[in-house]
Amino acid sequence: MPTSMNEKDQYKNRIELLQGTLDMLILQTLQWGPQHGYGIVQALRLRSGDVLQVETGSLYPALHRLERQGWVQSEWKQSESKQRARYYRITTKGKKQLASDLGRWERIVEAIGSVMYVKPEESES
Amino acid sequence: MKSFPSFGFQRRKHELQEEIDAHLQMAIADRVARGETAETARQAAAREFGNIPLVQDVTRQMWGPGWLEQLGRDVRYALRQLRKSSGFTITATAMLTVAICANSTVFSWIDGTMLRPIPGARDTGELVSLQRGERNFSPTPPFSYPDYRDLREQNHTLTGMLAYHHDWITLTGGAQPERVYIANVSANYFDVLGIKPMLGRFFVAEEETRPDAVPNVVLGYSLWKTRYAADPAIVGKSIELARHPVTVIGVAPEGFVGAMPGIRQDLWITLDPLGTDVWRMTHRSGGAVWLNVIGRLRPGVSRGHAALDLDTLMHHIVAAYPDDHLGDNRITLDPMWRSPFGANGYMAATLPILLAFAAVVLLLTCANVATLTLVRFVSRRRELAIRQSLGANRMQLVRQMVLEGAILSTGAGVVALVLTSWTSKTFAWFFPANAIPTVLNGTMDYKVVLGIAASSLLACLLCSAFPAWRSSHAPANEVLKAESASVSGGSRNRRLLSGLVVAQIALSLPLLLCSGLFLRTLRNLACANPGFEQDHILTASVGTNNAGYSGAEEKVIRHKILDRVSALPGVKVVSFTDWIPMTLSHKGEDAYPQGYVPHPHEALQVYHAEVGPRYFESLHIPIWEGREFTRDDDEESPRVLIVDQTAAKRYWPGQDPLGKKLRVWGSPFTVVGVAKNSTHMFMNESPEPMVYMSFFQVGYETIVQVETEGNPADLAPAVENAIHEIDTRLPVFDVRPMRESTQMASIFAVLQSALAGMFALIGLVLAVTGIYGVVAYRTQMRTHEIGIRMALGASRANVLRLVLVQGLWLTGIGLALGLAFALGLTRFIARLLYGIGANDPVTVVSVVILLGAMSLAACYLPAHRAMRRNPVNAIREL
Repeated sequence: MPTSMNEKDQYKNRIELLQGTLDMLILQTLQWGPQHGYGIVQALRLRSGDVLQVETGSLYPALHRLERQGWVQSEWKQSESKQRARYYRITTKGKKQLASDLGRWERIVEAIGSVMYVKPEESES
Repeated sequence: MKSFPSFGFQRRKHELQEEIDAHLQMAIADRVARGETAETARQAAAREFGNIPLVQDVTRQMWGPGWLEQLGRDVRYALRQLRKSSGFTITATAMLTVAICANSTVFSWIDGTMLRPIPGARDTGELVSLQRGERNFSPTPPFSYPDYRDLREQNHTLTGMLAYHHDWITLTGGAQPERVYIANVSANYFDVLGIKPMLGRFFVAEEETRPDAVPNVVLGYSLWKTRYAADPAIVGKSIELARHPVTVIGVAPEGFVGAMPGIRQDLWITLDPLGTDVWRMTHRSGGAVWLNVIGRLRPGVSRGHAALDLDTLMHHIVAAYPDDHLGDNRITLDPMWRSPFGANGYMAATLPILLAFAAVVLLLTCANVATLTLVRFVSRRRELAIRQSLGANRMQLVRQMVLEGAILSTGAGVVALVLTSWTSKTFAWFFPANAIPTVLNGTMDYKVVLGIAASSLLACLLCSAFPAWRSSHAPANEVLKAESASVSGGSRNRRLLSGLVVAQIALSLPLLLCSGLFLRTLRNLACANPGFEQDHILTASVGTNNAGYSGAEEKVIRHKILDRVSALPGVKVVSFTDWIPMTLSHKGEDAYPQGYVPHPHEALQVYHAEVGPRYFESLHIPIWEGREFTRDDDEESPRVLIVDQTAAKRYWPGQDPLGKKLRVWGSPFTVVGVAKNSTHMFMNESPEPMVYMSFFQVGYETIVQVETEGNPADLAPAVENAIHEIDTRLPVFDVRPMRESTQMASIFAVLQSALAGMFALIGLVLAVTGIYGVVAYRTQMRTHEIGIRMALGASRANVLRLVLVQGLWLTGIGLALGLAFALGLTRFIARLLYGIGANDPVTVVSVVILLGAMSLAACYLPAHRAMRRNPVNAIREL
């Protein structure tokens, strides 16, 4: 069955989100404009080429936690398809947080990179 | 969540449901748009979403607990902690209760007297009491009626100005005559005070000076209730006042007792109800100066501004009638809480100082409880460190610890509230039976409750927030890692503990010193010689003048009394007077000595008393020159008087005062004698000139003064009977030994020393237990170290010295600071002392020795214990 094969492949290609990166991804998504929960899932999936699949069980707790921390704000609005939904918007505080998360992420990537691609003779010296 | 439902929780739950529904709807819509059937789309979306209740649950956890729920959890935790150390809980609560109650009790007294100067009156903050001339502790009424009228009509700063004069009078006409305190009042009296009648009406303007055949009176609530059985139809009825018929026109509301703070008036009548006092209503000096005046400030006008306005007016009056206004005429205004007329002058001199003492006791107690709390937190540092490493932030820990203190101080506040509702009423105990109708007591109202709340809050902040903040500083990993490093709770806590002990000693020293000074003042007062005999004298008042007897009848009665009472067995000398010294009352009059030129602004007022023959003999007051009065110094003979040394020296220095003239009430009096000075009001008064006039010439009230052989109290019934034999309707009252009457002069000294003594005792106990606690605790913490020292060869004496030196340092620093503090403070009580300087070295030294010795004894106990420890056991102990 092509459909089920397709889904299975997709699932294989998805990776677990690294601890703490979900917040950064959500905040980054909201940088492009206010969005509701479903929209955030779709945007992340689309931008990552179907690689990143956010579980609703992680998304909603994260959104509510971010709101409590004051990094996002929410309000109820109508979507284009006349569906009433809760839209989240990034705050100034959230933008600062995003910048610092991004900085940390880059340092981690760099650090992991320098471990993985280290040359043997360099490590001996 | 069940016990503490958070506000908005249901709403947020509902919103989350809606949010998830919207998510599913959008997912389904997308799938349908991609061509799936509605049913498969719905199923797929639901599968993709996952477990909805689980998502809801984990999301809700992100909201955090509601603040009420969290508070409930913290309170339960705090209560558990407090229950675990019930000894601490009970001690701390009891100490805080006593300290808060001390404050609230004194405050309730201030509240009942100074802050409620005229119960029932509207906005007493706007009222000012007017004083003319020299300011003193218990002035006589300062204004004449014409002066009052001029000030009332011409001022620009008051909305109203009332005048009154009060005196005893006898209600006749009923089965039993009854003595009541009445006030002659201006017609606007109730209006200015803002009092509305409970029944009938009050006076109208045209009644003020209009004499009536049957004058109108207003009854006080309690008189209406007791004598007239709360008769609802009393208005319009006729009653009898000193044998004159009067008509009741109204009844004052419950609680209102008159315009003079602390004095009860029972009945009000106009200024000249019978038209018999025309002279007094039209003159401006001498006996016509008889009114106390209270004004109400216009909104926005300050007291200083009004004083300036009235002073300017008074200047014009003085310029127009210079002969009636010799001496000092400056006008000063006082707010009612410290009005010199009535009780508040005395209250304002005493109660704030006692409140300050109580506040020191509260601070001291807080320092003591803070010590205990700090020790507790230090011993709980492992628990705190573990909680910190488990993720509790510092604010949460502090909140938890402060909550324990808040529970303690709230509990103490509640108990203090209950206690104060009783202790506030103990104020009346300090006032013995006397001739003044005082109504003085504490009250318990919202202000006292607020005061208790404020004290509790202060206590909470000082004895828990502060130590909690300090304790929460401890770095968790160090506490957990290196137990030995914090054996004595860290050096920071040690310094804080030392500071608290020093504070307690330093705070208790001024309390002890002040109470020592007050106690010695009291002893000096008791031993002091007032210059007259107090021990074998009985006095009895006879209500002749104000019970409606005519002058002729009165004269006959007085002579009969003299004869009958003299004949009683056990009576040595009988005399008359119309004033008893040292009873907080005195009579003053303007007197113009012959040939004397007053200094500018010198008040020409003298104290005066009308005394009968043998008065000086019975009181053992020596007559230094001239003679005593005799029975022949009566209305028919020329007016005579006896001056005291002060008057003689002031008016005729270096001359023989005998034969000199003094003009009083417009008529000349000839000096026939000079009496030795004696005390008039208080032992520590500065001597004022005193003139004695002959009772049979100008005597007003009748007080029989009996010198007895034995105990004067034993003779009281016989004297009363002898007077009643003359006329059974004669009111006889205030029959009591002189000693009892003169107690009035020292009631404030008794009040001060009783309270200061109590507070000082509390302070001493707190300071001594405080230093004991800290030294004992620190010695216990050093048990291990002491064990090592002993094992290395330290002798027991060394150990004793080690611990004692520590206590000695704390005591020494505390005493030094306390002494500086105390010596700075005693000058505030200097004028309340008698026969002792404010920095009396004997008192200072003995107080320092007492406190020092008690502190050292407190340190010796733990030192002794440490010395006796077995070093081997001590080392093992940690």
